Amino acid sequence: MFEYLVILLDEASASFCHYEAPSLQERKPISADMLKQGIRFAMRQNLAIQFVYPHYEISDELDELVHSVDHFKIMPADIDATKADVVVVDGFNFDAAIRLQKPTTLRVKKDEFFARYHELVPLLEAVPNVNVVFTDVQHFTAADLQTYSTVISLLAEEVAKMYVGDLCPRINLLTDRLSLNEMNNCGAGATSLTMAPNGNLYACPGFYYDDPENCVGNINQRELEIPNGYLYTLASAPICRHCDAWHCKRCVWLNRKTTLEVNTPSHEQCVMAHLERNASGKMLMQIREHGSFMPECEIEEIDYLDPFDKRHLW
Amino acid sequence: MAEIKDNTQVWLDGEAKSITFIVTKDCQLACKYCYLVGKNSKERMSFEVAKAAVDYILGNPELFPDQSVVWDFIGGEPFMEINLIDRLCDYIKTEMYRLNHRWFNSYRFSFSTNGINYDSERVQRFIEKNHTHLSIGITIDGTRRKHDLNRIYKGSGLGSYDDVVRNIPLWLKQFPNGGTKVTISSPDIPYIKESVLHLFSLGIHEVNINVVFEDVWKEGDDELFEDQLMQLADAIIDGELYKENVCSFFREDLGKPLDISLENNNWCGAGKMLSIDAEGNFYPCTRFAAYSLRSKKPIIIGNIHDGINQNLLRPFLTLDRLTQSPTKCLSCEVASGCAWCQGENYDAAVTPTIYQRSTAICLMHKARVRANNYYWNKLYCKIELDGARPAKPSCIACSL
Ligand code: SF4
Ligand code: SF4
Repeated sequence: MFEYLVILLDEASASFCHYEAPSLQERKPISADMLKQGIRFAMRQNLAIQFVYPHYEISDELDELVHSVDHFKIMPADIDATKADVVVVDGFNFDAAIRLQKPTTLRVKKDEFFARYHELVPLLEAVPNVNVVFTDVQHFTAADLQTYSTVISLLAEEVAKMYVGDLCPRINLLTDRLSLNEMNNCGAGATSLTMAPNGNLYACPGFYYDDPENCVGNINQRELEIPNGYLYTLASAPICRHCDAWHCKRCVWLNRKTTLEVNTPSHEQCVMAHLERNASGKMLMQIREHGSFMPECEIEEIDYLDPFDKRHLW
Repeated sequence: MAEIKDNTQVWLDGEAKSITFIVTKDCQLACKYCYLVGKNSKERMSFEVAKAAVDYILGNPELFPDQSVVWDFIGGEPFMEINLIDRLCDYIKTEMYRLNHRWFNSYRFSFSTNGINYDSERVQRFIEKNHTHLSIGITIDGTRRKHDLNRIYKGSGLGSYDDVVRNIPLWLKQFPNGGTKVTISSPDIPYIKESVLHLFSLGIHEVNINVVFEDVWKEGDDELFEDQLMQLADAIIDGELYKENVCSFFREDLGKPLDISLENNNWCGAGKMLSIDAEGNFYPCTRFAAYSLRSKKPIIIGNIHDGINQNLLRPFLTLDRLTQSPTKCLSCEVASGCAWCQGENYDAAVTPTIYQRSTAICLMHKARVRANNYYWNKLYCKIELDGARPAKPSCIACSL
């Protein structure tokens, strides 16, 4: 069931996730009329709105419309993001996010993360929640996965130390898994849809930026159904429904890019999520050496990093 | 049951890796139902491309862990490229031997041909050389009337029946268990009975026949189909043809409900096979090559230079019945034996996915199941009456 509508306020609104948004050449904001229609559509369909801002301040007219409805703001850190619900940072330049003390999404490439992961500590201390998204998952090699295994374990040690020191940092890669007992992934195409400035609907902004023709509907439709919508649900994902890396993004846009099917993840996506899962488990043990901690949480040891390798057991 | 002929087992069915070379997209015929929308005479495989594919496959045994292999050659008409095939098969044999590859002791070369140049000297020389490792099927649709309705020569439009039938005795002499494949589309329904009986009379004891998966069916086709199959059942049983012949339309395990979790396998082998085209591109099955697709982009899973992209195989290797089938199929009382083709599913899907099962054959399958029930009930009854088999118990509780 759809619960959210992501509305892009410009044809090049900032990316808040794995996909790349086009760089801003000239401002192409959504028209006021289209925004009004989008808001009415969301209200009729009972969808909570998430506005995604571009890398510039929007006009007063659009701002007024934005504030005519309950909503959630996703804003890049390079504009005035004091009113943001989530601040998006590209790369390890997060001074603004530290100042703002807001939930932060950090978009990063593997090499920068491998080199600078320890710099995350001040960010984790300052903001309530850090959501790291890799923008080059599809380019991880076997060697990169090896490096990630080491790096995520080292980061887990840092985070464990913070917990032992009575802090309560939250970072999706390591702490989300601790508080989950079922899949909690990106709901693109299943619980959320994205409206682009052209009035068309997409599973997520990534699909729009890849090919604006590739829409799944339009805000003029009355029934909120999308073609082959079942393929975006967990029940229709043969690999993921056998998996317990519950924090995994299960990015359907990456799935489509890497395997041509929205319901099938790539090997790299699965291995990364399992390295995180396993590092979460070790971190849990490290914290427990200092006293009782989340006693209900259990992360079993498993002998695989990609559930696909266990398909003969399904 | 010794009296009823069983299907000849396909060589290591399901256990051998199937590797298909699309050696040419050309054919002497222009069959009216041919699914190859992009047939042409330009795309012929070169030896260099074929050799590179063999080198990749034999050089990466960990990617192909199967114990056995079927090297399959298709077209168009594969025997139009007999020189290439002959040279390539020699190369494959030499390389398997040189590399001490496990497939050297367990391989087959397989062909499905229209049979027109079967008796040519070059084809015959090839057969003689490789006889113990060959499977060859000749495709013939049935009576002259039926065959020539569809299988006509390019250009002249003349039927090809006489040129094929001429070669049947030679083929059966060389491959006494040779079977044929027959494909039924809407206009062929009235000829089913006469065609199958005709093929039996030619000495072809195994007729593998199926309806096309494409959405070609008209209202009433299912009833006509059922009627033809019932007539065929009568003829096979009354004439005791079942003792020596098999028609794949009739199977004992057909038309039962399937358990959602225990019987959740995919039907089609796409992804477990590998097809290679003239450019050296790899496909999960030939049906995903551009020349077979009506409305979708080809699914290319790699090529001879870069190898196979394993991520692109994942959707194929994890496909199951549950995920791709609509609810009506999951609760269907006669689901067993209702087949699908992953390529046609993809081609017909509303989004570019292999996970949307096409059910264009639904009514045809149900008609087949009814005729199949009739066939087995009648056959068992006859065998019981003949005393060749104990009577079926009439009371479940006491087996009396
Ligand atoms: S599908 Fe979801 S996880 Fe993937 S890029 Fe889009 S919003 Fe992010
Ligand atoms: S780790 Fe792989 S199988 Fe598990 S949820 Fe993520 S994408 Fe799906």
